[in-house]
Amino acid sequence: MAIALLRRLAGAAPVPVFAAIGTGMRAAADDLFLDRRLTRANSIRHARILLVAGPVREADQDDIHRLHDQMLHPRATLWWKANAGPDFAEPTTWDEDDPVAALEAIHRALIDGTRDSEPDTLPNEPPNPWRGKGDYGQGGEGMMGGTPYGRPMAMTDDDLRDGLALDAYTAPFGPFLPMLPPGLKLSVTLQGDVIQTAELLRPPFPQAKSADGTVHALRALARFLPILGLDAHAVRCLDAARFLSAGTPIELTKIRQLLRWSGALAAIPPGIGVIEGADVRIRVERWLAALDESQPGTFEDSATTSPLKSARLVDLLRGREWSEAILIANSFDTETMIALAPVEAEDAEADDRDIEDENRMDHEGHGAGHPPEAHAHGAPGA
Amino acid sequence: MTQVLATLVLPLVLLGGIALAAVLDRAVPALVAGRSLKASFVGPITVASSWAVAQTGGTEHPDKVNWILAPILYFTLAAIGLSVVPFAPGVVAADLDSGIVLWGACESLTVVAVFLHGWSANSPLPLIGAYRYVAIGLPAMLLSMFVLIAAALPAQSLAVTDIVEAQRSVWNIVRQPAGFVLFLMLGLSLSLRGPFDYADPYDLVGGTTAEISGTARLTWWLARLAMLVSVSAMTATVFLGGYLGPVLPGFVWLVLKTSLVLVVLVCAGEVFARLPPDRMMNLIWLALLPLSFLMLVAVGVELLLWG
Repeated sequence: MAIALLRRLAGAAPVPVFAAIGTGMRAAADDLFLDRRLTRANSIRHARILLVAGPVREADQDDIHRLHDQMLHPRATLWWKANAGPDFAEPTTWDEDDPVAALEAIHRALIDGTRDSEPDTLPNEPPNPWRGKGDYGQGGEGMMGGTPYGRPMAMTDDDLRDGLALDAYTAPFGPFLPMLPPGLKLSVTLQGDVIQTAELLRPPFPQAKSADGTVHALRALARFLPILGLDAHAVRCLDAARFLSAGTPIELTKIRQLLRWSGALAAIPPGIGVIEGADVRIRVERWLAALDESQPGTFEDSATTSPLKSARLVDLLRGREWSEAILIANSFDTETMIALAPVEAEDAEADDRDIEDENRMDHEGHGAGHPPEAHAHGAPGA
Repeated sequence: MTQVLATLVLPLVLLGGIALAAVLDRAVPALVAGRSLKASFVGPITVASSWAVAQTGGTEHPDKVNWILAPILYFTLAAIGLSVVPFAPGVVAADLDSGIVLWGACESLTVVAVFLHGWSANSPLPLIGAYRYVAIGLPAMLLSMFVLIAAALPAQSLAVTDIVEAQRSVWNIVRQPAGFVLFLMLGLSLSLRGPFDYADPYDLVGGTTAEISGTARLTWWLARLAMLVSVSAMTATVFLGGYLGPVLPGFVWLVLKTSLVLVVLVCAGEVFARLPPDRMMNLIWLALLPLSFLMLVAVGVELLLWG
């Protein structure tokens, strides 16, 4: 009785969906979550449905699998305008513009038990056999380091910031981590929350850019503000962007006011992510200026003015604390991000593969099989 | 007898407060986002049900015991903290001579509860959330000690009841308005909220909650709300005269004042931006802590000269 009531109530809850966004679908996926019938799960652990939106690269299929297997039961996957992976038996696909009804139907079926939860797609075993070394066969040296069973262990190393030898930990992040541009996959070495080194594994997916500067600025703000804890402001920006895209004029004064009161600009540390003399704060100021109807034509995005040949994202992130790094990564539009994360010639690609292989050996366990240590972080996939 | 009454009322206050906080947590963001409030009342119930029927997963080799205990400890600390708050004259569950010290202990142990929650997951992003919270939480707790001592000085007692009675002439919010604001900041930090949510933020995909789901998520959510209620009641008691007020019964005054503080905290959590941790650390250590100490000195001098 009580369980039946709980199930009925649960069926009426917004559908928790994790979006793995592919090429050209970022804006559509962002808009999708404006619908109150859905709620965006930032961690795959919080989701009941994995929504693969748009085509992804062949290399990303592995991450999709690992994401999928970290999702708890009952679970399902919807491929929205996307190429379903070969290991998904009878995938549910959706090629129309609005998948909300399909997501709702899947959710209801999962809750009332008329749809079976999807099984794991990867074997539940460590990514590599025991390769222990060290005094106790645990990994690197002493009680630390190494990659026993393919799981990376932290190892003491010098710190960039103050020279204190703390535990360095290397892990891949992306390509579907919600607070990084879709497709971007980095191998990051962290000491605490300070990035010691970052290496590009895969660049972000290309996305369509709005021709309207105001809409572009609103969408950029909507992605940036949640990092500062301003989720409701972000929803307001996204709502406004959608109205403007549809040709409905909308008053933006209130948004500018709310953002001024929030102290968002003051919260951004000065001097981070500097490119062409503009740091993160200046780029955000430009977005805000684009919302000011009294000053038409003031919008100017860094990507449109510079080819950014010499700058690299990984250099901008080095030595930054995690929050600052995420602010930097979200202060550029996709075109600029792709320019900052160049897929270089064959040599680099070969290196890239090496790094990936190494990481796979190190971390595949992240999803290799079970949710286990499936670090929600890059919930590897994530 | 009154102690038994207070002990019986305490869970009701906690439950009512949690319900109010859950609704406000949906209504306030909807207002800021310029959307309708329609789903604010039913939303918390359906979402909580959704969590209740979801599977509770796990990572590889988590610290299972502490993972389960952390939300229980967090919730318990909220309840113990609330136990020193007098609901009406003489009606208090734990009428201690050093009630404010017990509250301080609950504040400090909250850091432990949140840290354990992030630590136990055996996963990097929850762990970063845990360490971050300790880094910000510790100086925030230090700051609150100065604020609370300054509030206790006029009463010349560490008993919360005495602190309320000492406000019959003038509320502490008038005596030390900056202390009130600082204590609100502490409230945001204790309940992991908005500008002080360094444990469970978006940039860490939910921080200490990144790996939890199902009932584990539900209990953590309830514990956070319980702490919000507890710190709101404490703020109302220490700065707004607690149960003191004309015409209406003391308990009603306390509920009204607690609700007001709760609304302010939820709004502040939604409206103000969160600084990156480094920047916040500098702000607390270099500006807010010295400010709280100066306030303590100012209250001391005032009492020496005119008290």
